[in-house]
Amino acid sequence: MSAGPDRVHLDAGWQGNPLRPRSLIARRYTLYLTATVAVGAMTWHVFFHGTDWGRFGGIASFAREVGRFLPDLTFLPHVVAPLLETLLMAFWGTFIAMILCLPVAWLAARNITPFYPVTYAVGRAIMVLSRSVHELIFALLFVAALGLGAFPGILALACRSIGFMSKTTAEALENVDRGPIEAMEATGAGRLSVVLFGIVPQVFPIFVGNVIFQLDINLRRAAILGMVGAGGIGILFSDVMMSYRFDQAGACVLGIFILVTMGEFVSTRIRARLVYGEVGRRE
Amino acid sequence: MALLEIRGLRKTYPTGERALDGVDVSVGAKQVVAILGLSGSGKSTLLRCINRLVEPDAGSVVLDGTEVTSLDRRAMRRARRRMGMIFQEFNLVERLTVLENVLCGRLGFTSTWRAVTRAFPRPDIEHALHLCHRVGLIDHVRKRADQLSGGQRQRVGIARALIQDPKILLVDEPTSSLDPKIGAEVMDLMTSIAKEENVPMLISVHDLGLAKRYSNQIVGLQGGIKVLDDDTREVDDERLESIYHVSAQAFHGGPG
Repeated sequence: MSAGPDRVHLDAGWQGNPLRPRSLIARRYTLYLTATVAVGAMTWHVFFHGTDWGRFGGIASFAREVGRFLPDLTFLPHVVAPLLETLLMAFWGTFIAMILCLPVAWLAARNITPFYPVTYAVGRAIMVLSRSVHELIFALLFVAALGLGAFPGILALACRSIGFMSKTTAEALENVDRGPIEAMEATGAGRLSVVLFGIVPQVFPIFVGNVIFQLDINLRRAAILGMVGAGGIGILFSDVMMSYRFDQAGACVLGIFILVTMGEFVSTRIRARLVYGEVGRRE
Repeated sequence: MALLEIRGLRKTYPTGERALDGVDVSVGAKQVVAILGLSGSGKSTLLRCINRLVEPDAGSVVLDGTEVTSLDRRAMRRARRRMGMIFQEFNLVERLTVLENVLCGRLGFTSTWRAVTRAFPRPDIEHALHLCHRVGLIDHVRKRADQLSGGQRQRVGIARALIQDPKILLVDEPTSSLDPKIGAEVMDLMTSIAKEENVPMLISVHDLGLAKRYSNQIVGLQGGIKVLDDDTREVDDERLESIYHVSAQAFHGGPG
């Protein structure tokens, strides 16, 4: 330490905390102030200009309105069949996406894409398209093209899911450990064997975990697609809403709640099992 | 002619790093040859140029009368089937069982259909079980590789290389990921099996003690150049340490 200076002197221009020069602080607080004013103005507009407070009534009338949605339990049996259709839609939508996401992931994984900049860009573009369009938009599209029913709903779910699933799969492919692949190549294994034994076992658990996660999400999505005519419980829901049977709508919501809770329960258990593996925890 | 004959091997990586600069090595039948050198002296590159996991720029590698460097893809794959390789990081497939990992060594001999369905031929499975017994893992064959300790993992690596019925074992720093005691056990096991099976070995090591104890021949590398190649009994400590010292001085810019 003898070679270094025993004290470091800052330039004369520095004042205050040397890690935070004044110009930076000023800029930062200007930004904060601008943001606060902008958000405040918008909030004011929405709450006091865009809302008719006079129509809200008191707490009692508010509670009465919400109370009209109390579920009519006798309506529950009518909810079962559409709910099963919803489940089926989620299942098939996820299944189709599960198959179709594989080639997209192959294109969009930087390390294995066949012609790097071109095919990689194609893969990423498909992902962005799939992820940026809402499932209701996809559903409207397919209902317009194919008519009402569960099938356009299934296609909408598939299109919406490909993005997420190919993205996570591509990431898993990019993070593959080179070691086992090298070992397989060193044994003289063919290309397919190297993929099957070197890559697939590394990617498989992540892939299955994401498929189940996506199934869980698609169950929720499938429940609303019917509102634009794409099958499932949503059709019944919008029907009863339009005939002002809020109690029956409440029963629909209750049914969806039960189905989604069950889905969540099952998917959590399967995914936990995947993490620890079928053989058990590390000893 | 020796079983493995390497002549004038050169390799420069695209980064400009010169890993091998005209190296000659020969490995006779039943020989254990240790390659010594600092990190970056070209040990791993030398091993990987033999089975062409790394493509050499120039030179020749002749294994059992076959010029390996001129083989096309298909023929090279066939040649690799008889070269066992053991790795520093074991390179096991974590989610497969011990038995499956050992059987991976047969992939070069296994038809694609059998590989897809994981239906390895019965003799292979029996051989794999026998080897698991041999390396002391017979009680663990159904365990997944990620449940094993480091020493056990390397034993799987050894069994996987042996099931190839190799003409030569290429061993890359087999003990560097293990503690000294386990490392010595692994070296013991590896060299004794190689001796019984008459498989020669080319081992890269850091540890001078291990090199002296287990090899017949010592090759020293410094910055991709061979600086020592002699019978282990003829090599005294001073010469061994010079492999490290001189290049250490060169490394720090001192007089070399």
